[in-house]
Amino acid sequence: MFVSRRNKGGIIAAAAIAAAALVTSALPAHAETGVTSSTIKLGITVPLTGAAAPGYNKVPAAMKAYFDYVNANGGVNGRKIQLVIKDDAYSPAQTLSVTNDLILKDKVFALVGTLGTANNEATTRLVNSHGVPRLFVNTGFSGFADMKKYPTTFPLFPSYATEAKAMGKYIADNLAGHKVALIYQDDDFGADALKGFATAGTSFVAKIPYSALSQADPSVVGKWITSIATAQADTVIMFGVTSATGALAGGLYKAGLIGKVQMILGSVGSDGTTLKGLLGPLAPALAGSIAASFLPSPSDATDEYVNLFKSVNAQYNAGAAFDNNVLVGMNSAMLTVQALRAAGANPTRASLMKAIEAKGSTWASAAFSPILYSAKSHVGYTGYWFGKLGTDGNAVSVDGPGKYTLYTTDSGTAPVVKSSPARTAMPAKGLPTN
Amino acid sequence: MNTSFMKKKIAVLGATALAALAFTAAPTVAHAAPACDGKVPVSSCVGATSDGAPYSMMVPANFNGTVYLYSHGYRYNVDIPAAIPLIGGYKVTNTPQPGPNATVIQYLLSKGFAVMGSGFARQGWNGDSGVATDVELINTFKTQFTKTTHVIAWGESLGGFITQGLAEKLGTQLSAAAPLCVASSSVEAELKMAGDFLWGLKTFFDPSIKAGNYSAGAAGYAEAMADLGKVFTVMGKLQVGIGTELATGKPTWPDTAPAAIAGSGIPARSALLLTGLMAGVPTQSAHFDGTTGPGSANSSSYTGFALLGSPALGVLENGTNAAALAILATLDVEQQSGGAIFDNTKTDYAAQVASEASTYNAALSGSTATAGMLAYLAAAPRATATSAAIAKMRGLLQWTGKISVPSVTMVGVSDPITPAGNSTYLANQYASQYAAQIKANLKAHMPRGSSNLISIYGLTPTHYTTFDATGSPVTSTAAANGTNHCNFTTKQYTTVADMLAYASTNGKNLSGGALTSAVRKMGGSTADPKFQATLPKFYSQD
Repeated sequence: MFVSRRNKGGIIAAAAIAAAALVTSALPAHAETGVTSSTIKLGITVPLTGAAAPGYNKVPAAMKAYFDYVNANGGVNGRKIQLVIKDDAYSPAQTLSVTNDLILKDKVFALVGTLGTANNEATTRLVNSHGVPRLFVNTGFSGFADMKKYPTTFPLFPSYATEAKAMGKYIADNLAGHKVALIYQDDDFGADALKGFATAGTSFVAKIPYSALSQADPSVVGKWITSIATAQADTVIMFGVTSATGALAGGLYKAGLIGKVQMILGSVGSDGTTLKGLLGPLAPALAGSIAASFLPSPSDATDEYVNLFKSVNAQYNAGAAFDNNVLVGMNSAMLTVQALRAAGANPTRASLMKAIEAKGSTWASAAFSPILYSAKSHVGYTGYWFGKLGTDGNAVSVDGPGKYTLYTTDSGTAPVVKSSPARTAMPAKGLPTN
Repeated sequence: MNTSFMKKKIAVLGATALAALAFTAAPTVAHAAPACDGKVPVSSCVGATSDGAPYSMMVPANFNGTVYLYSHGYRYNVDIPAAIPLIGGYKVTNTPQPGPNATVIQYLLSKGFAVMGSGFARQGWNGDSGVATDVELINTFKTQFTKTTHVIAWGESLGGFITQGLAEKLGTQLSAAAPLCVASSSVEAELKMAGDFLWGLKTFFDPSIKAGNYSAGAAGYAEAMADLGKVFTVMGKLQVGIGTELATGKPTWPDTAPAAIAGSGIPARSALLLTGLMAGVPTQSAHFDGTTGPGSANSSSYTGFALLGSPALGVLENGTNAAALAILATLDVEQQSGGAIFDNTKTDYAAQVASEASTYNAALSGSTATAGMLAYLAAAPRATATSAAIAKMRGLLQWTGKISVPSVTMVGVSDPITPAGNSTYLANQYASQYAAQIKANLKAHMPRGSSNLISIYGLTPTHYTTFDATGSPVTSTAAANGTNHCNFTTKQYTTVADMLAYASTNGKNLSGGALTSAVRKMGGSTADPKFQATLPKFYSQD
């Protein structure tokens, strides 16, 4: 039974009031979930296990490594950043369950870098009802920029529609007359791609949808190859995840078509080290494939962000193989630190989101395209560059090492504009001072 | 796949729907003072209210003045022939039930509380008569036991509906209330889920299922019994087919499915999942978590089962439990209302599954397959209700969410019969009342005042599906926390009972650290006031 203390007399009440006054005076002026005088607790959900884990499972460790680097240099306004990492195995049901834990039990201040379109969809009700900021989600689904439906969500990646439009422009400029087949994941991811290609006016000799995860079924891959051959395509766009790229490469190899068709890979399906892991000795056969990216090449030794992140990776991430996934994780972490700093000495969830809207477009970031955050926009990056995979799996710009042409556009009908990259210089030692 | 899956459901369904039968039948006594045996330490009394509802009262010798009035859940109002699978042999009963179970009753009696409950005058959907019976029962108890100072009302499922209706009617004549796993605010809302699900089963898998609009009288009863047989049969075929499809990759449909959809190349499991999603049936069930597969967590079979198979199997397990109630409640309410009560002529199923279709895209076999299934449904004949029957149904008791005394709700997030969203809807309805109360208090320079509602949700564990040595899912284990209908532990019941006692004594709900501690000790639950379950489709269409 719960005991009522209502009638235990004024002495206890007075003592309680006095004690409360003492405690109150020792605390900061506010008490926000996940923030103490010495820590800020963040959470992330990613597939650490399961078929979707390879590659993506490197993102949280990279983020944590950068946070550890910042913590070792004083943290954010004196607070150390903690990152609670939860495995969702890419299952939306599991994402919801572990996000329940992050919000209700771990009581994180904000989510950051949560991965997957369906996974983020699955937790939207929970996130919205608690007003939890969901920063820099690892998905390019354009819908997450809908501020009415996802008021606390801040996408970072350029949208898949943007990517498809840029790809369409690249094809029109460089591969005119080619017979192009499109393989795409048959969900919001692929719908974004179809929308972008339609806006770009790209025509296909074959459009081949596949249900997520069905790439593991050899009969499904066999149908892709048959469709490609039947349509006599000489160019194939894979708008899917890296395991789908691997499955396609394997299928083309078996059919004797590897190297005979030009492959074009989407940004989330072209990570070199992940492909190496999936394909083994077959991986070098992907050399020459065209890939879209919004961050610099991980092999670009001239890039200050790449070099900084490599050194952080070496010191704080046990020297994990440096690739796009590490780059994505550290870049998101750097933006997160700037957001936390901008949220003030005593950050609240509201001040965090307000700071991103007010100042996020000015922050230092490894990507070449501008960020469009404002009070009226939660759109992140807006542009891609194109490279060709080398035998080491890393993309090198089609314009030559360290030379990038940026294809910038929106998720709607705006034209694709080609430009030279211009970005905010990296803060000294990669430690934000905003 | 475990081929004994359907058999295992017998135990689950039995525990769910028929728990009320565990109590000893009481003789029906004409309306009068209760007949008490006067035993020590607990005196048992029986009697009947003026409407003929038999009741039971249990009063300890050290009665402390507070009595818990329990309202039981839905009981079928027709006998079920023995030949019907899973529930055959059921006989209508109005045995009184004074508490959730014997252990909880004993717990309360040992604390000096009295308990009471009736078996109601009629079974089936009985909101109006149930409230009337409860009102009379309270008066009878107070007359018999003049030491009574507080009355706490609680109940489950339809009994939760009656409890909320009673609380809205009596206001502060009660001292606390707990509508547990509460049914929707109206029978129309409750049966929309049933109607959508049955219509989906009929349209995808067996067009000979009538799924409502039953004939009057005995003919209608026969039609409903036939539907029970058909639905259980089709569920059995789906179970076997899904197992085959997951093992071989070859879509396998029940032989009663129309060729137009069965030959589409879309797996039957995706159609079943879509049916569940459009009705609002949870995808997590007693034994299927949507997160676990057989073998190594890094194998494609593990991921494939968890993402592609488990959600459909969750709907299958939940739907099997819910189907009998869906059919029999539809028959019951149609007969009360005088005609067909389910109408989906204007239902936009594509809109109804818009957000879930994205989350479960892979299990639905992709956007193209989903669009194909929705187009098939859009072209299928719809169910039409009788306007007079609708009007009559809408005249039955509805709760509004008005709360006048400290109240506690509790429900599992994956309850397949009374969705957790019912409790969220109640909380949302109360939220505006509470906001107005705060505003008025502040205007009068008074303290804000505390909330009169605690909403407790039982959460499912992240992983709970288990597999045998052959890789088949095991369905013989106890239902996981947060799943099944009104599936609460004794600790959860007694904690709620303690909260109600506290509220009754103090005139306000437990709060702060004491509430947090109590909920933590319950295990697997949250009382976070911001937690929101998905609303049932009836409300989310508003």
